[in-house]
Amino acid sequence: MLRLLSLWLMSLAILPAFAIHASEAGVVDWYKPLIGDALTGNPNLSPVFHRITEDNGKTRSLVLTATSSNVLSGLHPENGSIAWRYLFEDGNRVLAFKKHKNWVAAVSGVGGATVRVLDVSTGHLLHERHLHKPEAGRLLEPDSTGVALAFDSGSHVYALTNGHTVRKIEVSTGKIIWGWTAPDQTSLNVYSTVLPTSSAIYLIGLAKSFASYTLHITSLSPVDGSLLSSVDVPSSIEHGPASLFVLSKPVGESEHARILWLESNQIRSVKLMSGLNETPTAIKAATYRELVDLGLGDHGLLVAVKDDGSGQVIKLNDEGTGLKIIWEFADSADSTQHTASMYTGGLDKAGHPYIGRVFWSRYYKKASAHILAPHLAEGKGLVTGYTLPFETAVHGIIGNVAIDAVNLEEFRVLARVVITTTTGAIQLWQQDQLQWTREEGLADIRVAEFVELPERKLAETGLGEGHETFTGRVRRQISEARDFPHYALHFAKRFVTGSYDSVSSSAMPTTSDVASLSRDTFGFRKILVAATARGKVYGIDSANGEILWSRVFGLGWAAEVGGHVLPLKIYTTRTVMDEETPQVVIVTQRKANNGLLDTVLFHIDALTGEDSTGKSRSSDVLQGIDIIAGALVEAYLVRDEATKFVLLFDEFLQAHVYPDTAENTASFAKLIPSLHFALRTGQVGSLRLTGHRFGLQKEFTGKYIAHPTWTASLAEGEDIQAIIARPHEPVASLGKVLGNRTTMYKYLNPNVVAVVTSSLKAPTPSCAIYLMDVVKGSIIYHSVLPAVSGACDVKAAFTDNWLVYHYYDEDFGVDQAKSYRVVSVEFYEGTGIDDKISSSDLSSHSNASTSVHVLEQTYVFPRGISTMATTMTKFGITSKDLIVAGENGIIQSFPRRFFDPRRPKRKPTNEELEEWLIQYDPVIPDDPKRVLSHTYQVANVRAIITSPALLESTSLVFAHGLDLFSTRVTPSNTFDVLSENFNKAQLVLTISGLALAILITKPMVRNKRLRERWYN
Amino acid sequence: MRLPVLSLLSLACVAFGLNLQGRVQWNEHCSGADELGQAKAVLDNGYRHGSITQDGTFTIPEVPPGIYILSIISHDHVFDKLRVDVLETDTLPEVHPYVPGTPLSSSTTVTLPYPIRLSAAQRLNYYAERQGFNLLGMLNNPMMMMMLVGGGLVFAMPYIMKSLDPEALQTLEKRQAKMSTIQSSLHSGDLKSGLSALMQMGDEDATAATGKSQTESKPSGSGLKQRGGRNKKR
Repeated sequence: MLRLLSLWLMSLAILPAFAIHASEAGVVDWYKPLIGDALTGNPNLSPVFHRITEDNGKTRSLVLTATSSNVLSGLHPENGSIAWRYLFEDGNRVLAFKKHKNWVAAVSGVGGATVRVLDVSTGHLLHERHLHKPEAGRLLEPDSTGVALAFDSGSHVYALTNGHTVRKIEVSTGKIIWGWTAPDQTSLNVYSTVLPTSSAIYLIGLAKSFASYTLHITSLSPVDGSLLSSVDVPSSIEHGPASLFVLSKPVGESEHARILWLESNQIRSVKLMSGLNETPTAIKAATYRELVDLGLGDHGLLVAVKDDGSGQVIKLNDEGTGLKIIWEFADSADSTQHTASMYTGGLDKAGHPYIGRVFWSRYYKKASAHILAPHLAEGKGLVTGYTLPFETAVHGIIGNVAIDAVNLEEFRVLARVVITTTTGAIQLWQQDQLQWTREEGLADIRVAEFVELPERKLAETGLGEGHETFTGRVRRQISEARDFPHYALHFAKRFVTGSYDSVSSSAMPTTSDVASLSRDTFGFRKILVAATARGKVYGIDSANGEILWSRVFGLGWAAEVGGHVLPLKIYTTRTVMDEETPQVVIVTQRKANNGLLDTVLFHIDALTGEDSTGKSRSSDVLQGIDIIAGALVEAYLVRDEATKFVLLFDEFLQAHVYPDTAENTASFAKLIPSLHFALRTGQVGSLRLTGHRFGLQKEFTGKYIAHPTWTASLAEGEDIQAIIARPHEPVASLGKVLGNRTTMYKYLNPNVVAVVTSSLKAPTPSCAIYLMDVVKGSIIYHSVLPAVSGACDVKAAFTDNWLVYHYYDEDFGVDQAKSYRVVSVEFYEGTGIDDKISSSDLSSHSNASTSVHVLEQTYVFPRGISTMATTMTKFGITSKDLIVAGENGIIQSFPRRFFDPRRPKRKPTNEELEEWLIQYDPVIPDDPKRVLSHTYQVANVRAIITSPALLESTSLVFAHGLDLFSTRVTPSNTFDVLSENFNKAQLVLTISGLALAILITKPMVRNKRLRERWYN
Repeated sequence: MRLPVLSLLSLACVAFGLNLQGRVQWNEHCSGADELGQAKAVLDNGYRHGSITQDGTFTIPEVPPGIYILSIISHDHVFDKLRVDVLETDTLPEVHPYVPGTPLSSSTTVTLPYPIRLSAAQRLNYYAERQGFNLLGMLNNPMMMMMLVGGGLVFAMPYIMKSLDPEALQTLEKRQAKMSTIQSSLHSGDLKSGLSALMQMGDEDATAATGKSQTESKPSGSGLKQRGGRNKKR
């Protein structure tokens, strides 16, 4: 601890510390906590209302949901804010959760390896129980098969895991009271449901028989888990656990319970009782195709969908002896007018069940909700209906609904509906009013990019200089002169009060000019274009995280069969430098549900989200351009002096140019001899890196085709994990001047990429990192790293002449320790100092291009990371910080100086001090002042992107994963603006003090002079 | 009181590996689960882990024999790292303190009790204090002090001069004139004349001192003498 402290002190003493001030938190940065898009279609995981009774008797509700980001969360239904969220680890997927009173129990991991009990109002973990090793989990399809949770009326939870083990757990202590494992543990016999009653614990499962399943019921003693009985019920269930349900209903001290299943389109049921000896009965009234779980099984309610699509509500009768149909929803039969209905259940404050039905009317283009209250109208049932103006062009299709109802007076029911959409939005509607929307699709951003905003003038006039007539110019200037008084006033005010734009203020414009989307003084405000795996693209204001626009990707021809669009790459093809509105091209892969794969481009205006091709209306979904009928191999943005275009390769390595203008094609034809690419080829599992270049002639297809030129000589079974190219950024200096006035020239070969590989199938699994020249395939740097517990977790960043990578080393011999390591590698030209080969201009075919010497040093890193990136500034003069996303949810910056491979292992000499080198210490200091995300918990960061601001000193940072976080960093402090620490009061006081001194001394001096003249 | 029960459970599970038990003790840096947030105890790089519950306890299940580094991953708090040796022969693990960056083999022989007890060593402070305006701090600045003293001297000098007796003043003036000639000659590079002037002045100083000691010795005079002496050495 002391050592750490001294390190901090050292770092503070040496470095001009960059740190966040409390007043800047939330002003220069923003943070959007998310939970991930809610899981749909599974009553054990999908959103559900839960009413909590507090100590004072008041009740409040939460919306509980599990999400595809592996989070269990509680949302406030009033405003949609997160009450709490619990993050499950990777590889420990949440399979089911169950709420009861003040608890929520969740089971996760393969086969249900872990059971956790959380406090439902705070989300605090009360108990965690590991039930079996993850390796001992049974992989069943789907993975939530054979896993169930059930609370009894007391404070016990029963956890069914692996399809054959049940445990009784006391909620208050987390103690396992008893466990029971089925003697027959084959996959032929899998339990899927557990139902605790006061007399017995029933396990209901299916035994696989010849062509269908047979119902299998086991009853256990609630006291000690001893087997009471185990019977096979004669039945033949075709669809597996999905068509098997249990309805129960408390009657006094005990319960009535029946099992329902669908057998040759008929609903059959059997009563659960101690002997398990009743014969099944059937509802003969109609034929059914589906049973829908409403989550109201413990209220004895279920919806059965008839063959014609109409939904009937089925209820367990009061005696528990049979089932009755209590309601049939009108007009719910299949129709071209509306989509199939979704059914859900909810409770009111008094515990009365309600059943909701939501469908989309194709005719009215609106969603409709019907709420059935079975207990109202003297038990005959009452339906309240209304329409929701749901925007399908913005939010996609409704995927799931949950309801919560309140019965205000005899014939009046108010309902709240939580809708989950296919684009990942979660919405709450109170009757037909939208209360809030959470864009949870943003928890799975696949590609994102900062796009520069235009200056205000350009944004307003929308035209460049040069092409306006004399009268037009005069008119414009007169109209602009109207603003002069305002400007003069503003100038005077600024001059007097000194309220200049400050770098630590928000980049959001003040209220007067919010409407125009324009750059701020320092270029801190940009637009973030982010495309999600849910097929939606967002324009986010980088100043405050507001969503400025959003568009849904259209499916094109696949709209009829369904499918999804997965973004792969994003390129800014036009920036404000081109004096027009900026545009981006998003390269996506569209997987249609009929199995066809296409590569589709979306070309949009970054400021408004409008389709730049002009094909789709702004109120509709975006229309893409089907550029390749098939998979994409690789895409690049090619920059020429005049143009920028996207180059795509299909599976036949044909080159496609987009935008396909004559200018771009000509430019491409001209560039062909100098274009070299390294593509991943071969089978998944043994990918190769193969260099390619183009044939000089077009093929008969009218396209240029790339030919392989070299193949990297990787070892057998070595697989490519990642290719890291140097970002496109300016390099300010070609060399590093040392303390003794010699220079080391940076190795800046533009054709170099870093490659991370893994060879896990080798006798001794290992990982490796290479630096390769893509033109001729020569390996410039190669390092073998250990594979830890059978996986390669190497993170690398590559910029300038600096490669830095992070891994875990679990080897511990003499003088070694298990720790996270970070290796910093710098590449310099030639063989030593003052050896210059001009690598940045040299042809890659030259022999000298591999003449390089490498300096490297390893350090102990304080923690595991999920990703890292280096800062990027406008001219590259500012030193680079390493921005790291830590495993504990922090975004931290580390100055490059700590990673300098030339840090001396003794007291630095004067020459070394001149270079700002500090003495080597194996541990990289962990400075909390450099935690950019301060109190924000930025969870599961997948990528960090950086972008230059207009100020050379500042770099913008955006991190996305589960949460979104953006801030700005100044690795060398704000050297180009007056520091915020600058003490204006001190300056003013000193000057006024001096002025005062002059005022006082002036007459004195005058008097003295006069006297001197007089008396001398 | 629950701990004996838990360790009994761990004994039962020893066949699969050890269930590592521990507890985070609340202290002034971290007062409870609310402040700690979602946190977990991990071995090595997350090879095995256990979540920290509301009462601070954690269980890392089924740890095979080996040497591990136990760390607590939490957002706002720093915990010390521990070295945990799970032995094949013993049912209880050995726990040692561990300092990051030091070799694992040379850990101290200090053994910590089991079940593991940990408490937050520090709550992280992310914010830097902005330097506010502070009059006292401003006055403490040496530059500022020099300026103030200088300013004071400007005012006080005439009075000091006035209070000196005229004879002393005269010698002072003479000396100043001489000093300026020495300085100018040194500046112009005429070392010889400068040195000779210095020598001369040293002689004069000696005579002046003897002359003065006969009459009366003034504090200012002695101060001047020292200055002359220093000059000579140079």
